[in-house]
This record gives sequence, structure tokens and C-alpha cells, in this order.
Amino acid sequence: MSRLGYLLRRLLLAIPVVVFGTSLTFLIIRMGPIDPAAAIVGSPDTPSAQQQYERTREQLGLTKPLWEQYVDFMTDLLTFNLGQSWVLSPGTNTYDLILTYAPRTLWLGFWSILIAILFGIPLGFYAGLNPNTRIDYFVSFGGIVWRAMPNFWLAIILLALFAQSQQYFFGFDWSNFVVQSPVTGAYEFSDITTRDGFIREFKRVLPAALVLGSASMGNEMRIGRTAVLETINSNYVETAKAKGLSAKKIVWKHVFRNALIPLVPVITSEAFLLIGGAVLVEVVFGINGLGYLFFQAVINGDLPLVASLMYVFIIVLVGVNILQDLLYTIIDPRVGLEEGGA
Amino acid sequence: MTDTNESNDTPRDPDEELHDPRTGDEGRFEDQPLRERIAANPRPAAIWVAGLTLLVALQFGAIANFVVNTIPWSLLFGILPSIPGAGSVSAAGQWFADLPALLTRETIPNEGYYVPGEGWQGTFLGLSPAIAWAIRVVLVYAYSFAFLAWVWYAYVLFRRHYRYADWTPRDDIVGRLRTHRWGQFGIVVVLAFLVLALFAPALATAPVEQNIEDPYSHTIEYYDAELGEVTETTVGDANRDSASRGSSSNVGPMTYDEYDRFHPIGTLPSGGDLFTFMAFGARISLLIGLLSLAISGIAAATLALFGAYYKGKLDLSFVVASDSVQAMPRLLLLVLLSVVLADTWLGGLYSGAIVLALIFGATGWPALWRAVRGPALQVSEKEWIDAARSYGQAPTVTMRRHMLPYILGYLLIYASMTLGGIIVGVAGLSFLGLGVDSPTPEWGRAIDAGQDYVTTSSWHISLIPGIFIVLVVTAFNALGDGIRDAIDPQSDVGGDSDDATDEAAAGGTGA
Repeated sequence: MSRLGYLLRRLLLAIPVVVFGTSLTFLIIRMGPIDPAAAIVGSPDTPSAQQQYERTREQLGLTKPLWEQYVDFMTDLLTFNLGQSWVLSPGTNTYDLILTYAPRTLWLGFWSILIAILFGIPLGFYAGLNPNTRIDYFVSFGGIVWRAMPNFWLAIILLALFAQSQQYFFGFDWSNFVVQSPVTGAYEFSDITTRDGFIREFKRVLPAALVLGSASMGNEMRIGRTAVLETINSNYVETAKAKGLSAKKIVWKHVFRNALIPLVPVITSEAFLLIGGAVLVEVVFGINGLGYLFFQAVINGDLPLVASLMYVFIIVLVGVNILQDLLYTIIDPRVGLEEGGA
Repeated sequence: MTDTNESNDTPRDPDEELHDPRTGDEGRFEDQPLRERIAANPRPAAIWVAGLTLLVALQFGAIANFVVNTIPWSLLFGILPSIPGAGSVSAAGQWFADLPALLTRETIPNEGYYVPGEGWQGTFLGLSPAIAWAIRVVLVYAYSFAFLAWVWYAYVLFRRHYRYADWTPRDDIVGRLRTHRWGQFGIVVVLAFLVLALFAPALATAPVEQNIEDPYSHTIEYYDAELGEVTETTVGDANRDSASRGSSSNVGPMTYDEYDRFHPIGTLPSGGDLFTFMAFGARISLLIGLLSLAISGIAAATLALFGAYYKGKLDLSFVVASDSVQAMPRLLLLVLLSVVLADTWLGGLYSGAIVLALIFGATGWPALWRAVRGPALQVSEKEWIDAARSYGQAPTVTMRRHMLPYILGYLLIYASMTLGGIIVGVAGLSFLGLGVDSPTPEWGRAIDAGQDYVTTSSWHISLIPGIFIVLVVTAFNALGDGIRDAIDPQSDVGGDSDDATDEAAAGGTGA
């Protein structure tokens, strides 16, 4: 099967996944006891409130039979007509909301992936090249513990440490280091292109990014280590050694390149953890990003917004999945193109 | 004897049950029931049963109490019309439940007060509450590990005296675990966690209803230095004076409060004892974890078996279904479901723990299924499956007898690794205020409660529960690693994708 054919097949398979996932969302939202109309206008006590309640039900399409609601729901979402928020910020377009909130989550996600890669992979590779040394034990054990820490707990602890850094780091004042920056709160991107603005925002994102990337960093350390160990013991490395290649060349050209292959799914699957896990980190650090928006929409009963956001998440995650499989086939041609469904 | 029969039977290899026609002809190896084998050589079994009886007798009251009072019988049988004679049964059960047990807070009380000149009143042997509590903890753990060692001894006896085979593959698995230090660390910590959950009423420094759930309906006595006499006060008032709220008031780890109550890891901002909170929180975490794993494990095994046996369209439909569930960010889905289901009748069961277990089960099966699908597909390619099919064996029988045993090990590995993730996930939901309802203890709520005090003198409220979680999660991962290496020693050098699934399973919900 050609690569193009493979891509088409993956896209074709993604359609039922998106449809089914969105239908599940509809099921959860509509089958539950939350009355969207009551969430919007409050419980209908007085006659005028009753009238408004009825009107809202009408507007939301709740008076139609369920199957018709389902068809409307699906056509709206599948044609990317994401509607608007009803409770959280009434009348605002979902697109506008996403555009406002998404940059903060993207900024956070970008750095948490990058920091995890920059620290996790080198540490893991180093441990793999020097197995059973003290550093190896330190890295392996550290990776395991680092990964086992609950994000929200780590976030609280780091937040406290960074906020009171003078107390814990011998007078080192994090908030006023280079440029002044508060530890919590939403990011400010208006002057991100200037040097000070960039440093300020980087300083602000660092604790949260460390937390959000913690699990992936632990994974990358562990998998990087095993991958290097495996490649070192493989036959072609033996051959390279036998024909007198320098150790440096063996490591850089033969070991690292191949050891990167198993890390691809780990890196791409971070997208799942980032979108999902961002809620807790954003709540602790007071960043109003997408996770925070979703959480607020859920607890306030803003069901139309919840559905639209969930749909967007599904699309993103399915897209990342396809991208991962494609990357895999490009990096490692040995991976069979037929077994794509799995 | 039936008792030993059952417990000795478990380690038997399923392969042994198959009749081997060759040996059957000779008659010597004809499958003799275990009962007859024991009857032929009753001494080791009798010693073992005597030991077991002794161990059970020590705790009989507590075991009966657990069976009668902790399991919600009314909930289980509430739907049925009242059974005649139920009253006398429950009365008899209550009588058994009230029998004394060795390891309870009544036998070794740690709650008392100090009267100057007269020493400690009301505690075990007049010792200080800290020491009385420590004795109880040591005894409970010694008892539990002795019990487990005795159960292990049953396996050793079975192997030495009653098993036909000198060697089974299972012996090698056990042997490999024997040298697996990392896995052993996992086993020890996991067992310590299980004992903490199981013996929570005995291990806690104060009864949970008195200290945390309903403090204003219970009273304690203490020695009032100003009045110079023993006074009574409600626990709620006492708790208010022993709250940990940073610099204004703080009761840290290993200290006493003003009412002579000992707090091994300090108090909560509400004044409740943190250790009691943690012990009962362990119960609910474990309940949710096991229940949801049972649900997702059964679903995953069933889908994997059917998908692997029939393959093709059926398997593909499972792929689509699991992909759809996994396409939704797990934590957000959990948040959504727990909010939506919170107000239903389901959400009220056991402070919301049951609904959480259902939610985690319903969203957790795809990961488990993915982990066992590969092994299931591999087994389904073996010739004996073909043979069974052409022999006319019913598909479900083939799946159960010839495929399930091969995927059970993998299921166990991933279940162990997922359990840590579930504990973290439940704590994360509670942290957001969604999971288990207050006042029922749950670890995440302790972390939430201590959030504002991390840099103050009340640092223990958030930090210690977090360390508990890290330890337990690490231990479950270590246990999973240990089981994997024991079952399949090649797996460590095996496929890369296996590793990636491992890590994903261990990562859990992203909480």
C-alpha cells in the first residue's frame, strides 16, 4: 500500500471515530439530568421566568423530538457551526472564545513539550549509554518518581516554591529575576515580541510547563534509556564497531537515530496529556486557557459550549493520532502500512 | 477441610486439569482429587488449618463486623421483598460482629488525657497516646504480614506435599519474582497500602465518625488545666482549637494538640486528624480503583477475546469504539461525566464513590483492551485454536479455556499500572471539588485543603498526602514491572511498542 493510500485509509477510519465520539458527547450531555435551559435562565418559578424558560427551550431546540435534536447537533458540529456560549459569556461565539483562550494553552503546551524533550531525552540517552552507573540509577529512579507525581500536587508545591523563592533558594528572588513577573495569572501576549516581554512570559510559563511536562519527561527518560540500551546491543552496532568506526560516530549516527524511533509515539501522545491535564494545572496557576474554559463551562452547565469544545478536542486528538502514524511510517519504513488501524 | 481445599487449589496450574491419556493408562497419575491427596497425608494440612484458625480467631470479631456492618447488605438486598427470618440472621450476625477482636482500638485504646501527677488516663496500660497508637500500628502490620506469610506457606506446603508435578511454569514465575527487588518493593508498599485501607478503623488515631464526619455529635474528655479537673467537650469544639491554618494555629506531625490527642501527621485545616483522614481515604481510593478495574478489565478481556477470535469487522468495530472513547481527553471526559451524573441517584451511592468507579471503568477499558489485544491476536493464530475450532468446540469455550489464560497475565500487569493512575485521577477530581463528596475522606481533598498553607508551618496538609500518592503510584508501577518481568522475562528486550503502551498505561489520566 502506498503512503498516500495509507493516509486516505487513516482519514477514512477517522470519520467514524469522530462521528461516534461526538455522538457519545451528545449522549452524555442530553441523557444527563442537567437541563440546559434551566442552567441558562434559572429555575422557572414565576410566570415570566416560565415564559423565558419556554422561549429558551425553543431557541435551544429542546422542544423538538430527540432524534431531530441529534441530527441538528451533529450537522452543526460536523459543518463546524460551533454556535455560541449560553451561560459563561452569553452570546459570544465559540470561535471567539476559543481564539481568546487557546493561545494561553498553546503557549503552555509548547513549552511543556519542549522542556520535557530537552531534558528527558538527553538524560535518558545518557543513562542508556552508561547503564548501571550512579547517574543511570538516579535518572531511572528520578524518572519513575517524577512520573508518579500527581500534576495538581506538583503544581501546588512548585507554585509555593516559586512564589516564595527567597525563603527556599537562599534569597534567590524568582519573581524579580531579570524582569518582574507574577507567578500566577493569565499570560499577557501583547508585548511578546520584545525581549523583556518574552522573558517575562517564559518565566511565567516555566513552573506550569514543568508540571504539565513532568509525566512525559519521565516517560521520555525511561523509553530513551531502554531504546539506547537496545540499539547498543544490536548487531549492526556490533558490525560498526568491528569495522572500526569511531565511538562518536557510532553513537551519533547509529545509536541515537534509531533510538529516537520509539520516542515518536511518546512525544505525539503528549498532546493527549496536555489537552486533558491542562485543566488542573490551569486551575492551580490561574491561567484561563482552554482546559479552564472547559471546566468552567461544565460546572456552569453551559452545555452547548461544552459540546463544541469537546468536538474541537476530538478533532485535534484524532488529527494528532493520524500525524503520529504518518510520522512513524516516514521515520521507520519497516513499520507496516497495513496494520494502520491499530 | 474444604477450607484448605479451596485455598490450596488456587495455585494449581490449569494444564494439570487436563487428563493425559498416557499417564492415565498407568493409573498411578490418575487425577486424584486434592481431598484424597490430603487425606493420604493429613499432617501438613492439619497444621496449616490450625494456624489459620488461630489467626482468624484473633480477629474474628473484626472480620464478622466487616462482613455484617461494612458491606451494605440493605443496599444489595434492598430491592428484594424482605426475606422471612432476615431479622434473626442479622441479630446473629450482630452478635458475631460484637465479639472482641485483638487488634481494635477498644483493646489497645490510644485516646485519653493526661492528668498531672496521675499520668495518662484511658490509654493502653497508661502509656502515652503516641506509644499506644504505635503499638497498635505495629501489631496490625505484624498480624497482616503474618497472615499473608501463612497463606504463602499454604502454597509452599501444597508444592511440597500435595502437588504431583515437581515443576510447573508457575514455579519459574515465582522464582523470578524472588530476585526482582524492584517488584518486591512494589509488593511491600502495595500490601502496606491494602492493610491501611482494610484496617483503617484500627489504624486510625481516632474513629472517623467522631473525628471527621460528625464531630459535633461526639464528645471527648480532657484535663482542663485552668479548672483543674477533667472536662467534657464536643469533638467539633476540640477540632476547632487544633486546626492547622498556617501561622495562626498549627498542629504539625508527631505532636499533641491541646486536648491530648496525638496526631502522627498533623491535622487538617478543619482540625480533623490527617492520618485518620488518609486511612479512610485509602479505603475509598482502593474501592474506586478495584471496582473500576473490574469493570474495565472484564470489558477489555471480553472485547479482546471476541475481537481476536472473530477478527475482521468485529475487531474493526471495537477499534473504532475504543478510538472514539480515547479521542476525548480522558480527564475532561471524567470531569464532564462526574458533573453530569452527580445529581442522579447513582451519584448519591457511597458519597459518589460508586459513580466514580463506573465512570473510570467506562472510560478506562480502551487502554486495557489495547494492551491485551496484541497478545489475544497472537494466541488466536496458534494452531490449537484452529484445532479446537475444527474439533467443534464452542467459540466461547475456546476463548475461555485456551485464550483467556494467556491474556490474564497481561491484564494483571496493566491493571496494576492503571490502578495508580486511577488513584491519581480520583484525587485530581476531588481536588477540583468533583469527586467524592465531603465529609467522606479522599486524598485529593486533603491536598486541596492544604493548598494555601504549603509555605507556612502547616506544610504537612498538602505535602504528606502527595507523598502518599507518589509512593502508592510508584509501588503499583513497580508491581506491574515485577509481574511483567516474572511472567515474560523476554519482554524487557522485546518490542518498542510494548514499552510505549506500558508508559501510556502508567501515565493514567493526566491528572
